[in-house]
Amino acid sequence: MKSLDPRVNRLPVVGKPGEISPKVPLDQLGTFEVFVQPKEGKPFQHEGIVHAPDVEMAFVLAKETFTRRFTCVSLYVCDTRNVYVSPLTEATSNAYDLISEATEKSTHKTSYEIYHLLKRGKQHVHVGTVQAGSPQEAMAEAKKVFKNDKTVYNIWAVKTSDIRFTTDEEKDLWLTLPEKKFRDASAYKGGDKLKEFLERHNA
Amino acid sequence: MYGGGNTFEGIKTDSIAQEDPIRLAEFEARIERGEKIEPTDWMPALYRKQLIRMIEQHAHSEIIGALPEGTWITRAPGFKRKISLMAKVQDEVGHGQLLYSAAETLGKTREEMIDDLISGKSKYSNIFNYPAFTWADSCFISWLVDAGAIVNQLANAKGSYGPYCRALDRICAEESFHLKYGHHCVIYLATGTQKQRDMFQEAINRWWKPMMHFFGPSDKISAHTEVLMRWKVKMSSNDDMRNQFLDMYVPKIWELGFTIPDENLKKNTETGRWEYTEPDWEEFKRVINGDGPCNKERLEVRRIAEERGRWVRQALKKAQTQYTVPLA
Repeated sequence: MKSLDPRVNRLPVVGKPGEISPKVPLDQLGTFEVFVQPKEGKPFQHEGIVHAPDVEMAFVLAKETFTRRFTCVSLYVCDTRNVYVSPLTEATSNAYDLISEATEKSTHKTSYEIYHLLKRGKQHVHVGTVQAGSPQEAMAEAKKVFKNDKTVYNIWAVKTSDIRFTTDEEKDLWLTLPEKKFRDASAYKGGDKLKEFLERHNA
Repeated sequence: MYGGGNTFEGIKTDSIAQEDPIRLAEFEARIERGEKIEPTDWMPALYRKQLIRMIEQHAHSEIIGALPEGTWITRAPGFKRKISLMAKVQDEVGHGQLLYSAAETLGKTREEMIDDLISGKSKYSNIFNYPAFTWADSCFISWLVDAGAIVNQLANAKGSYGPYCRALDRICAEESFHLKYGHHCVIYLATGTQKQRDMFQEAINRWWKPMMHFFGPSDKISAHTEVLMRWKVKMSSNDDMRNQFLDMYVPKIWELGFTIPDENLKKNTETGRWEYTEPDWEEFKRVINGDGPCNKERLEVRRIAEERGRWVRQALKKAQTQYTVPLA
């Protein structure tokens, strides 16, 4: 391989060109769902996923993937397998209508975070926390507490203890965001230079 | 960044005839109403297949597109340009991550996509098969190739598949910096010394042909895309996007006193459309099928990175690791 880039020319010979050695299963690791809080006081909202070996690594990768821009004050991640999902409903029917009331009351309760999807094509947004003994019970509890006249298309429930939150010491991760002007279109003002050039050019 | 010149597979509409007619009608009605399709919704097999293909090509283009620009980070003129270009290249790789995730929701794993890229089975934007000889080439890519990508991505962001649209909204917001940065770089070359101006003129001369290829074959010869337009997979025809790009950027290039190497390029004031020498579509096909100046290098760099990263991925893997299809 002869490249214009000397670093490419220095790459070691590995394997055979055009052939990739077979991958082990899960070569790209597992998936973790990422939630971001854009501003203090605003709810967390679902942003997307990252691939990671564990929740700690997922947290680091989520920070790089989803919070290089825009404001962020906090983010958290959880394994995709730990998100309990209601059915996705159609046009006017409410996802809560498909959830039956809890009949049994568990004695051992833990907290669950509840998320609503209020518009198809948008993202799930955190609405609050309920105490329940199982994900099903959490959904039923959420129905009691959060159901109103707004149509909810889809509900997620995640056990609070399955979430890797941002710790207080980590909050300063995003403090430098506003200083990173080089990632912002407004930092590239060429107008004056262009105008001066055009005046000179057209004179 | 990305080109709309993605190649759709020859569409066999007879597969649509095998779909459940009631569900198909519901699916089409939903798109007609402007609602998004989500991963758990029923969708025709053809829709799934073409979307995977398109989103995957887009993801590969982001990753491969980072190579010709990434090569200029260490040689960018000055600290400010280095830091900007580094941020831009990081964005492109980040966009690749977002897009791979969106494609995964349709059922193709990331491993499969990466394998198909390296083996040459999946394609990426043809323009990255051309070399970036000078800093001015890097500026051309940052400004004009990204501009083309934005034309395409803004159109696609209004498409029908929820996860893809969400990824594109995020990507488009980030691309605005790329475009401004690219234009800033070009203004500095254009208003600089004669040597700097010559450098950028030469970059235009080199890149104009691939730029015209960027939006894909002319509507006259491109595959039958009527059903993809109806399903809001493809949002705008190749020629319409090319025309929009020319409309927005040719005046800006001319304004800086540069010339474009096509003596037939002019806007028809009656039709409002740009006229140009028909790009060589045989060359486009030849390059996309592997015979371009940099195809081998791009895939080799990607393959070597994959091979060399293997031990890291294996070291990171935990017993409890399990792949799950992303939720949204």
